[in-house]
Amino acid sequence: MTTITRRGLLGTALAMPAIVHGTARAQSAPIRLALLAPLSGPFARQGELMRTGATLAVEDVNRNGGIKALGGATLELVIADAGANVEQVTSAAQRLAADRELLAGMGAWASSFTLAATEVTERAKLPWITLSWADTITARGFHYVLASSPPSSRIIPAALEPLLALAGKVAGKKPSTIACINDDTAVNQANMKPLREGGFEKLGLKTVMDENFSVPLSDATPLIQRLRRARPDLVLLGTTATSDSRLLLQTLTEFGLGQGKVPVIAPSANFGTPEMLKNMGANYLEGVIGVAGNWTSKRQAALNADLMKRSGEPWLIQDTLSLYGHVALIADALERAGKADRDALMAALLATDTTEGPARFFLGERLRFEKNGRRADAVPAVFQWKNGKPLTVLPEADAEAELSWPRPG
Amino acid sequence: MGYTGEIEALLQILAAGLLLGCLYGLMCAGLGLIFGIMRVINFAQGDFMMLAMYFGLTGVALFAPGRSWAFATAMAVACAAALVFYGLGALTHWALVSRVSGARAVDTADAGHTGQLILTLGLSLVLQNGGLMLFGSSPVSIPSDAGTQSWTLELLGGDIMLFINQARAFSALMAVAAVLLAILLMTRTGIGRQLRAVASNPIAALYMGVNVDRAFRTAFGIGLALTAIAGVCVATFYPFQAYSGFDFVIIMYAGVVLGGMGSVGGAFLGGLIIGLVQQLSTLVLPAQLQNTAVFVVFLAVLLIRPQGLFGRSVERA
Repeated sequence: MTTITRRGLLGTALAMPAIVHGTARAQSAPIRLALLAPLSGPFARQGELMRTGATLAVEDVNRNGGIKALGGATLELVIADAGANVEQVTSAAQRLAADRELLAGMGAWASSFTLAATEVTERAKLPWITLSWADTITARGFHYVLASSPPSSRIIPAALEPLLALAGKVAGKKPSTIACINDDTAVNQANMKPLREGGFEKLGLKTVMDENFSVPLSDATPLIQRLRRARPDLVLLGTTATSDSRLLLQTLTEFGLGQGKVPVIAPSANFGTPEMLKNMGANYLEGVIGVAGNWTSKRQAALNADLMKRSGEPWLIQDTLSLYGHVALIADALERAGKADRDALMAALLATDTTEGPARFFLGERLRFEKNGRRADAVPAVFQWKNGKPLTVLPEADAEAELSWPRPG
Repeated sequence: MGYTGEIEALLQILAAGLLLGCLYGLMCAGLGLIFGIMRVINFAQGDFMMLAMYFGLTGVALFAPGRSWAFATAMAVACAAALVFYGLGALTHWALVSRVSGARAVDTADAGHTGQLILTLGLSLVLQNGGLMLFGSSPVSIPSDAGTQSWTLELLGGDIMLFINQARAFSALMAVAAVLLAILLMTRTGIGRQLRAVASNPIAALYMGVNVDRAFRTAFGIGLALTAIAGVCVATFYPFQAYSGFDFVIIMYAGVVLGGMGSVGGAFLGGLIIGLVQQLSTLVLPAQLQNTAVFVVFLAVLLIRPQGLFGRSVERA
């Protein structure tokens, strides 16, 4: 027989609020997701686009009843500023890692930022999803990092191969020389590594110029002067900052090499931003080809229209689309995991294999991940400026327009 | 191409260095004037320049009848910016800087330098983040035809072709004109005499009836006015956002120290040299090392001539 003592009754009474609170919390406590993005400094615009994508996705998940497997728990975004350099990113990641209530995180845009941030989040066993490209992000043997974009080593060939084939058909002669101007950030150096190590040769291209510069560029004249003397058939511009992209394109135009006279390929999402159009004007951008980790798809016209309306952006780019997709992917994995636990969530994320749900927010058909966390079958998005809009031209299943050989305007 | 190609590259990059250097020179002249007269290191100078860039953008959006008139309008707005930023500088001095400089700082152990440092750094952060909130994060620039058009000069029967960006060329002329006016103001007018007297010995100037506080306010205003002109000119060809001032502030300091503190002309020449070194270094070094080259020259000058190329090695009385 159980004896009820005065002391036992008092103890139970004292413990009741905690028990009730704990139960309520398990049923409906919001799921906290971190977003680490540059919201100040020279890359603040990219961070703002990421925040827009993540915020809209969280709104949609919550409006549709939250995570049903967790009793309708809502998602809550914890936003941290990655700032302008690796030191600031690391410090912000450390603050996030100290928050044990966080279930997963996303960010931090530039590959160098992501490499630094994930060094911290991996130790905290915090599942992390990024749109960054550099191959090294998923080549370090980490267990809590997923990358939704194709790796750097596949980004440039994705645009070059079809473009060279097209040039052979349309212009009658395949380009044989290329000039490369890249900033010295991790992603652009990672993009170039396989090409420098025999990649260009395999494509039948001879490098007549290969220059790197430090961000920000004060004047592009020395670089474009050198490029003019090198007389390449193709130009590759790898930039991180919109201001550098604009300076390079502007100086190409000044030197009579712009507006399609020498085809430009830019493995940088910033070449497709609305501010590029605002700063340069449509005629200076016509024909410029960009490559990114994600872009709009003709198959998702209705979703894109809705997101554009709600975000106020004239069109959507990688940063907004991928972050929308990352939140959708986490929500989908939580439904499958059935509990708010980091390890269970990570296992569910890695087990993702779908052509529905979150797969709709990325180019290509299927969404699944390799063991190292890199998205399997990820296809680079190739876009081309046509009449003042950067339209997806590859992959064909998602293309909004056909890839065309740039013609002098 | 042979030697013709090398000569073309040299001339092209020399032209680019001169044009950019003139604008750097104007920025340095503004900062140099404030430091030379007030001995205040203004860390917010680049951020005031950023404000001037947005002032230029707004002015052009309001008054330019079309893209083809945008550059001419920008030059007119640059003149207006000089007046507006003179006022803003005087106001900033009256409200903030005067509290940690001039007569109020005389009795402090470090002549107010710590206070000045914290104040101007704080001001810089407020302007950067306020700019981000007010203007947004998208990089913008003054959209003008001159910014993307160049004159082509053909030399040696067309063997050498030089491209001179129209916006940069006119901006460089504007910079030279503004600095010449500042030098004339400093050397040929009563205000200039007062400013030089205050720069040389503020206490003696005070005994001679010069209103030191007002002279400092004037110097701060003129310093901001010069930098504001540079800001509007730069905005015609350089995309900017709220943090762009930081890209230039290091160059400004290097130019002022290189040219010699306390000399408007020296600061201008310091900036010009930095522009030339930054561009010409690409002839022999990778473009990545442009700024390294600038600071190697800067350190070399400091070693050989610590007072700067055009400065005097006299202690302030």
